[in-house]
Amino acid sequence: MTALDKMIREIKDLTPMPAVANRLLEIVEKPDSSMNDITRIIQYDPVMTVDILKICNSAYLGLKMPAESIKDAVNMLGTDQIIELALVKSSAKVLSGPRKGYGLEQGDMWRYSVSSAVIAKQVALRLGLSNKSTIFTAALIKDIGKIILEKYVFKDFKKINTLVKNDGYSFREAEKKVLGIDHAEMGALIGKIWGFSPRMVKLIQHHHLRDESMMNDKEVAAVYLADCICMMMGDGVGADGLSYRFKDQLMKIHSVSHSDITGIMAECGVNMNEVKILLEMA
Amino acid sequence: MKQIVGVADMKVSNNTADAVITYSLGSCIGLVIYDPVARVGGILHYMLPESAIDKEKAAKRPFMFADTGIPRLFKTAYAMGAKKPRIRIFVAGGAEILDQNGFFNIGKRNYMALKKMFFKNKVMIDKQEVGGNINRTVRIEIASGDIFLKTSGSKEVRI
Repeated sequence: MTALDKMIREIKDLTPMPAVANRLLEIVEKPDSSMNDITRIIQYDPVMTVDILKICNSAYLGLKMPAESIKDAVNMLGTDQIIELALVKSSAKVLSGPRKGYGLEQGDMWRYSVSSAVIAKQVALRLGLSNKSTIFTAALIKDIGKIILEKYVFKDFKKINTLVKNDGYSFREAEKKVLGIDHAEMGALIGKIWGFSPRMVKLIQHHHLRDESMMNDKEVAAVYLADCICMMMGDGVGADGLSYRFKDQLMKIHSVSHSDITGIMAECGVNMNEVKILLEMA
Repeated sequence: MKQIVGVADMKVSNNTADAVITYSLGSCIGLVIYDPVARVGGILHYMLPESAIDKEKAAKRPFMFADTGIPRLFKTAYAMGAKKPRIRIFVAGGAEILDQNGFFNIGKRNYMALKKMFFKNKVMIDKQEVGGNINRTVRIEIASGDIFLKTSGSKEVRI
């Protein structure tokens, strides 16, 4: 059995994201999904329903009337926000554990993922993308490959780190060189096995822009840029640090200026409460 | 007691039972100051170099920017008895993503903003751990002024 076969077997043994998450991922991809579609999916998951109602009725959201059903919640908060809440909730278990190979303690990866997702919405807005929920979701789950790869990274950390420190490799390039696969490719593999859409798989696979020809793709650019900004903000960053490549070219293609980036960072600084609330839900 | 400094935040203490800590500095800067006689110390964790990009946000969150945060850090320490000539300074953070050049290099710009202010005000940095591609956590114990630095995946070291 090759190392890759072993990894694939491990993916199959992973507890996948709850069924409701997969169905919501499908909804996110369809621009013509109705409020009823969303309500129908969530209300058949009683745990999710209770969690969402709890959040909706928390003081933070400040609703005048309490939401008594998912239908109320969707009406009051809008479909995007309900989908985001549900996806954050359902990915918490998969993403929040410690990942020793990446020097991530309990909750680190989770905080990073939620921050990326919140930043991604801002980036999507800046790039004029209408499907903010897709970008939010992709940014939230883009590092999922790390949950399988971390054991292998842990074993070969010295080798990987030497390539990064001494030979000018990015962490992703070093993973690929030493392990034969990087965490973005691994994430895409998990996405395929779990039945994510080809579009979501693509966004996960290219979140570090391993293939520069993907630079023109606005959605790929949005997820990539959100990741860069999140890395700079630092919260939940692991031993791989900021050792990934920044592409000036992408900024030119999509007319992103440095003041756009600092503007998004400042916005996040002010809206950190949103991340905090989402984190507290888990 | 552990006083946690969040992102775009500042804490100053003269309680010798306190340790002030800020986590996960990426391109942000953690500016640590300490007066060993008054035993006053604090950390500012700022994100961006200049408040001119958004005055409104700077008014709401002055610790987000170097130019609005740094003077407040010093003034707060002075109000607790610290004196400028005795203040020791440690700077951490300002990391960058690989190939992040020019204006896009927020880490370097954050550091340069601090250097510029210090040069103008004749303030010297005692020690620093800045730049590179790692993120850092920094902590100061108010009783001793000892400063500790940790990078992800490594053990904490005393500076």
